[in-house]
Amino acid sequence: MSYFLPHLHSGWHVDQAILSEQERLVVIRFGRDHDEECIKQDEVLYRIAEKVVNMAVIYLVDIDEVPDFNKMYELYDRTTIMFFYRNKHMMIDLGTGNNNKINWPLEDKQEMIDIIETIFRGARKGKGLVISPKDYSTRHRY
Amino acid sequence: MANFYPDFLNMQPPPNYVAGLGRGATGFTTRSDLGPAQELPSQESIKAAIEQRKSEIEEEEDIDPRYQDPDNEVALFATAPYDHEDEEADKIYQSVEEHLSKRRKSQREKQEQLQKEKYEKENPKVSSQFADLKRGLSTLTDEDWNNIPEPGDLTRKKRTKQPRRERFYATSDFVLASARNENQAISNFAVDTQAGTETPDMNGTKTNFVEIGAARDKVLGIKLAQASSNLTSPSTIDPKGYLTSLNSMVPKNANDLGDIRKARKLLQSVIETNPKHASGWVAAARLEEVANKLSQAQSLILKGCENCSRSEDVWLEAIRLHPAAEAKVIIANAVKKLPKSVTLWLEAEKLENQAQHKKRIIKKALEFNPTSVSLWKEAVNLEEEVDNARILLARAVELIPMSIDLWLALARLETYENAKKVLNKARQTIRTSHEVWIAAARLEEQQGNVSRVEKIMARGVSELQATGGMLQRDQWLSEAEKCETEGAVITAQAIINTCLGVGLDEEDQFDTWLDDAQSFIARKCIDCARAVFAFSLRVYPKSEKLWLRAVELEKLYGTTESVCSILEKAVESCPKAEILWLLYAKERKNVNDIAGARNILGRAFEYNSNSEEIWLAAVRIEFVNNENERARKLLARARIESGTERIWTKSISLERILDEKDRALQLLENALKIYPHYDKLYMMKGQIFEDKEQIELARDAYLAGTKVCPYSIPLWLLLAKLEEKQSVIRARVVFDRAKVKNPKNEFLWLELIKMELRAGNISQVRAALAKALQECPSSGLLWTEAIWLEPRAQRKTRATDALRKCEGNAHLLCTIARMLWLEKKADKARSWFLKAVKADQDNGDVWCWFYKYSLEAGNEDQQKEVLTSFETADPHHGYFWPSITKDIKNSRKTPQELLHLAINVL
Repeated sequence: MSYFLPHLHSGWHVDQAILSEQERLVVIRFGRDHDEECIKQDEVLYRIAEKVVNMAVIYLVDIDEVPDFNKMYELYDRTTIMFFYRNKHMMIDLGTGNNNKINWPLEDKQEMIDIIETIFRGARKGKGLVISPKDYSTRHRY
Repeated sequence: MANFYPDFLNMQPPPNYVAGLGRGATGFTTRSDLGPAQELPSQESIKAAIEQRKSEIEEEEDIDPRYQDPDNEVALFATAPYDHEDEEADKIYQSVEEHLSKRRKSQREKQEQLQKEKYEKENPKVSSQFADLKRGLSTLTDEDWNNIPEPGDLTRKKRTKQPRRERFYATSDFVLASARNENQAISNFAVDTQAGTETPDMNGTKTNFVEIGAARDKVLGIKLAQASSNLTSPSTIDPKGYLTSLNSMVPKNANDLGDIRKARKLLQSVIETNPKHASGWVAAARLEEVANKLSQAQSLILKGCENCSRSEDVWLEAIRLHPAAEAKVIIANAVKKLPKSVTLWLEAEKLENQAQHKKRIIKKALEFNPTSVSLWKEAVNLEEEVDNARILLARAVELIPMSIDLWLALARLETYENAKKVLNKARQTIRTSHEVWIAAARLEEQQGNVSRVEKIMARGVSELQATGGMLQRDQWLSEAEKCETEGAVITAQAIINTCLGVGLDEEDQFDTWLDDAQSFIARKCIDCARAVFAFSLRVYPKSEKLWLRAVELEKLYGTTESVCSILEKAVESCPKAEILWLLYAKERKNVNDIAGARNILGRAFEYNSNSEEIWLAAVRIEFVNNENERARKLLARARIESGTERIWTKSISLERILDEKDRALQLLENALKIYPHYDKLYMMKGQIFEDKEQIELARDAYLAGTKVCPYSIPLWLLLAKLEEKQSVIRARVVFDRAKVKNPKNEFLWLELIKMELRAGNISQVRAALAKALQECPSSGLLWTEAIWLEPRAQRKTRATDALRKCEGNAHLLCTIARMLWLEKKADKARSWFLKAVKADQDNGDVWCWFYKYSLEAGNEDQQKEVLTSFETADPHHGYFWPSITKDIKNSRKTPQELLHLAINVL
């Protein structure tokens, strides 16, 4: 886990985080802070956070601490990244079959930046679903 | 990143916050095997949370509306502190409540259970309803499950509600192939069109809808082109007719806008497919003009001028559509392109204002078109000076020797001698022209050589017949008419003289000539009509009818001299026609030439010694002019030569008028020897004796008369009157005898009644009247008498009776009018008088009464009207009127004087 990225400690904080941002994407990593995959993911996010500061703001959520969204967002994976823009859930066609989220640790920083940029551009154009610059279909995570 | 730390992270979340609810989050279900898929916080949880929050708020505020005092005592203890005693009381109440709830608890629960079961029985759950069927499902295999058919959406609600999305389909090969084939076929027959069609992509992988659309447009264009050009294929469409029909499409209101648009499109395609077709351009420009888009029309027509520079029409249209200044430029271009077009040159000349410029243009035009008659004419018209014009015309006839107009114009401008030469030359060049001959004749007429006119015409006709330029008879006549309207009377007459008999059968020529004369008179061509009469009288000098017509014409339009001259000619050629003699004499008499009239009648006697009419006319002339001796002599001669009854009676009455009774009696004796059965002679004899107060002799005369002529009513009446002077009884006997001989005679009855009235025998009158009306129910006179006999109140009913019996009898109508007049109903009386007059114009009595009424009740206009219509009607009959007119004392009075006399007597 990263101590440098802000944590959200309740459902209300999550909601506030999503609602309060008007210009940028809200990227939320759901997972357990102590999980190995989560730690790797957090590291990547921390590394890129400053680079995408104009496009996105990144929060972390411990799904044990805030279980409110587990059912709603099917948070059953070890690490999940979801994107929101102006209180709208942004979807991305990654080729995996699940367009709602990234539910595996994406360890390439540039890929992460590309994905965030793509979603940001799509969101600014009013799209609800964007297509990922890279097809992740070969990587079956479950 | 460290500086990014939103402040909500430091805040505490509100209690009982339902995550996601505040922002309306919606979840998703990707895979059902990933735990209990639930999208949202459940309804129950939301409700519970809300309830919880509510109760918390209530606890805080400690307000329970259930325990409020109904009389609004909320505020009574609300502010009081919750002290120890209150708490104790609450506890006590609570314990009481608990105790109460324990009582009959088992029974109550049982009751509730029963109610619940009952409710469930009545409203069973869906799952429990199908429980038995569900059990049967266990036998189904997996295959069965797979083969369950899809139900499909039968409601169609969803589909209609969804907004229709754009759909993109891959075009089938069939469509592509057919499109290609179509275009190929088109390109086969469209080889000659200017732009060849492009076939679409042959690989067929891509569908180019733009190209397909273009191809369709092209097909339409080609079809139109085929329709407009007769060379490529015979078509049923008449392109010119079609275009003219388009021209006639004038939009009348806004509804026609669609038509304009349609026509515009059609014309556009016409122009595009066949840009060399001039009328297409003209039609398109006209359409724009009609649609009030002048600038578009102008630009279109200019384009048309570029495309069809060889077409006059397009240029003319362009000039018409442009203002004068621009039109001049256009016309300059036009004449450059089409220097041979006379209309364009004339148009150019019209556009110029100054004579100088006009002349220049015409000269230029003549350089290009030296043989154009209209250009030469224009040139001559523009020339103010006669000499210049003459020179121009001389040149023109050299260049265009076949133009009659130019020859004639030249001849008009030349002097007499030269004009003669010019006309001769013209005649030699154009041998079939009648105009030249007529012009020559008119020239001679203008010079006063009247004798030559006829000759020229005769020669002209013979030569025209030889050369084949002879006109029809009607055409000649219309030429004559034209000549007369233009003042060349002698020429007109010459034409008629030479051509009236052309091409006519012997049998119908008389009638045809009469018709011709009539039509000339109708068109006020009097001289022509005269000529026709003159000519036809030369052919038919013995025709009385023709002479009469000719005289009529002269009387209407000629002078007395001309009338007399024609009558002179008439009596010379038809000396046996009494009427012509009489007319001649009357004409003379009218101009107070008594001697002339006498002379004429004398001549008439030579030819018609037996004509009593002429004798009587002669006598009348003498009598009117108080030449009694001459009249007497004339009559004596007449008695010998003609000797008819009328001449005898006239001679006797002349003697009577002259008060020579003995002479009259002597004549009577002679007359009775010749005409013993003529009742008038007896009447005259009786009257003469009465005048001489020799009653016995008079009675004998009358009686002799009644014996010879028992059916002469006047004779009987005279006899009765004579008897009445002696005694009424003898008169009655006379009447009885008369009635036996002449039954159903209204005059006899009327006189009888009048006599009885005079005698004062009212009872006799009534009896006679009843009998009379029985015998003669349709006698207006009798009915009149009957009406006047009634007292005033009953006259009306009598009149209606009478009207029923003899409707339309003038006497009766007059009586009714008089009746109304007496009752001061002037307007009604007038209308009845008018009716009466209309019923019998010849009845003098009615006129007398009408005039009398008009004098008393009418205004001056009405009086005049009555008088004039009386004179035109000139009545001779009636009951009372003849006694005035036939009176010997009134023999020299005019009808008007007689009328006044009659009124005084009435």
